[in-house]
Amino acid sequence: MRLFGKKARWTEDAVTDAVRNLEIPESELFEFAKSDPDLAEKTGFSRYSYWGSTLSVFFKNKGTVALLLALVILVAFTFIQPLLPGQYEATRIINHPITGLQLSNIQPSLSSVVITAPAGTELVITPWENGQWAAVSNVISTIRARSEFTVTGFMGDWVEASFNGQTGFVRNDFTTNLKLPDEPEAVPYPSRANFPVKLHLSPQDLTNRGDELFVKKDSLKIRGDGITAQLAVEADLRILPTEAPFLFGTNIAGQDLWSMVWSGTRTSLFIGFVVALVEAAAGIFVGVVWGYIRRLDRIMTEIYNVIDNIPTTIVLILVAYIMRPGISTLIFAMSITGWVSMARFIRNQIVIIRDRDYNLASRCLGTGTLRIITRNLLPYLVSVIMLRMALAIPGAIGSEVFITYIGLGLPVSVPSLGNLITVGRKLVSTSQSYQLIFPTIVLSIVTVSFYIIGNAFADSADPKNHV
Amino acid sequence: MAKYILKRIGASLFTLIIILSVVFILLRQMPIEGYFDNFDKLDQAVIDARLQQMGLKAPILTQMQRFFTGLLQGNLGVSARYSVGAPIADIIAQKAPLSIQMGVLSMTLAVALGIPLGGAMARSKSRFWDRFGTAFIVFVNAIPAAVYYIFIQSYGSSALGISMLFDRSRAISWVLPVLSMSLGNIAYYAMWLRRYMLDELNKDYVQLARAKGVTSRNITMGHVFRNAFVPMIQYIPTSLLYTVGGSIYIESLYSIPGMGGLLVDVISRQDNPMVQAIVMIYSSVGIVGMLLGDVLMVFLDPRITFARKEGVR
Repeated sequence: MRLFGKKARWTEDAVTDAVRNLEIPESELFEFAKSDPDLAEKTGFSRYSYWGSTLSVFFKNKGTVALLLALVILVAFTFIQPLLPGQYEATRIINHPITGLQLSNIQPSLSSVVITAPAGTELVITPWENGQWAAVSNVISTIRARSEFTVTGFMGDWVEASFNGQTGFVRNDFTTNLKLPDEPEAVPYPSRANFPVKLHLSPQDLTNRGDELFVKKDSLKIRGDGITAQLAVEADLRILPTEAPFLFGTNIAGQDLWSMVWSGTRTSLFIGFVVALVEAAAGIFVGVVWGYIRRLDRIMTEIYNVIDNIPTTIVLILVAYIMRPGISTLIFAMSITGWVSMARFIRNQIVIIRDRDYNLASRCLGTGTLRIITRNLLPYLVSVIMLRMALAIPGAIGSEVFITYIGLGLPVSVPSLGNLITVGRKLVSTSQSYQLIFPTIVLSIVTVSFYIIGNAFADSADPKNHV
Repeated sequence: MAKYILKRIGASLFTLIIILSVVFILLRQMPIEGYFDNFDKLDQAVIDARLQQMGLKAPILTQMQRFFTGLLQGNLGVSARYSVGAPIADIIAQKAPLSIQMGVLSMTLAVALGIPLGGAMARSKSRFWDRFGTAFIVFVNAIPAAVYYIFIQSYGSSALGISMLFDRSRAISWVLPVLSMSLGNIAYYAMWLRRYMLDELNKDYVQLARAKGVTSRNITMGHVFRNAFVPMIQYIPTSLLYTVGGSIYIESLYSIPGMGGLLVDVISRQDNPMVQAIVMIYSSVGIVGMLLGDVLMVFLDPRITFARKEGVR
């Protein structure tokens, strides 16, 4: 619009005055417009890119992005965990430094402290050397099974006893099952147990199931006899001469479950990724060819029937027999059996859309087969393929659990979620159920993340959700 | 169509022979020590005699000829290791019905619950049913079946006040195994039906129908559901027929004397005649299922054709 005459001059003057009054240089009055795809769209110009839009729609969903981040962190952590300080090796069997027994089935705990003892606690020292650590317990001696001792005081869970000239305390519960008279308060009287029992210095058990605990030397006041000591300050009595805890406990062989779970997650995810990739590559290629090229359909269907009907177990057993059991063998075995179902899935999808009108039109216009496949068919299937791929990774982990269950999985020396869960399954109703729960939780987190991310990606891969 | 089906059946017979031959040859590659429980303690003469008795010493073609001749006479043979000397047909006739009954029940439950759930989820996107269904699907997919089966068994049997083990004559002891078996399938049907229905709901014909004033209910049931169900119908005959295989986890958990785990068991014990017989049954079932799936797909969606049209490609 243009203004004429007086009014125009008046407006022009007003603007000039305003500018002059503001004292802004003319160059600052205008600024360059930023490129805005939404505004550009309105003018009919389109810089639409399929993958760009898919990604931008995907990243708009904050929850999914958070989950993706969590998954990335989890994967990264499986690699970082062995490098952290104070970690046990995943396959190392942890022995008690003095008895040499395996520290099996230790309950999960946030620290390696068994008991925190107050200052002044009387302890017995076991001769054992390791830097700043000392091995202690409060066991004076062990009373042999069916040996008689004298009870000199009764306090319910514990009795005061003297044996071989030593006085101390003996635990009185189902683990010792002491022979006591009808009126146990009427001391003194002789008693015995059918098991070896321990004579403790104080009425509490400062041992780990009978084995020595460990404490820093500087918190001890060792007496002249070299056997007994007193805690100078309040101190933590630990299960091992280290501050590293068993966060997830230990298994029956005395291996640290925390390291096993992370190492197993790494192994299982690796297997899952590789198998899913092979499955996708082989499955999509074969599925497209099978579905689109009509002449091949019958022969491919029969080939599929042959491959699909050879029991996986036979292939797995033969592969295990020919190759050494290990990760690569398992990946090989799962890959050569896994891709067929993906191929069939793609084939069914292709069969459904190959004769749609737009493809017919495209063919009439002389579009080449390769172009139809890559431009007309596959983009149409991106959303379902993505969902299927996202499920293939947890699926591969699940079938690893199954393969381990039927006894053809990885050797015990290679921890994986599969063999951890298979071992844990037998302990579900015992106090060691944590050995099932921790690997299951990690597996569940992995599966849920992949499922939700896959679904969100499938949604954002649908062009209808792009504008 | 009839011609196509006949051709498919003819080709399938041929495929079946190839499957059996491949499995037959693969089985002969198994290690010899697998045929014996105490291989190390046996001397060569005993081993040879046993192998001879099992017919494994003959040239492979002779063995194959023997097997196929027996098959043509309707004779599946006798078990070599699983239950020595028992006719395989008897063993299977005893085990299969239970697995089929249980499988069909669980399939029925899965379809009856999974399909409506999927439909409800697609119709109420991001409202109650969608949320509930997603939570259920995520839960079932997240926890390995091997783990939640155990929990269902231990908590379910104490809640119902029944024994943990299966008792065929008591109807109530069917509940837990059937329920456990169907959970995965309910989630599977719901998940894929929702996905396909949402894909379908975004199509132009739905918008046209809506513009014409077709009710939402008619659109979902008459148009969307029918189109979305096409890719799913493919799998239903196969899954229905595969119930003959039973479920390895469930049957071992509840000690159900069915087919579950039988194949894995006889393969690891290298009972060759049993493996061949079971593979034959399973693959026939698989092939028939796939054929039925294709036929059903054509019936449901007439745009799909398998019969070759001249000049199409």
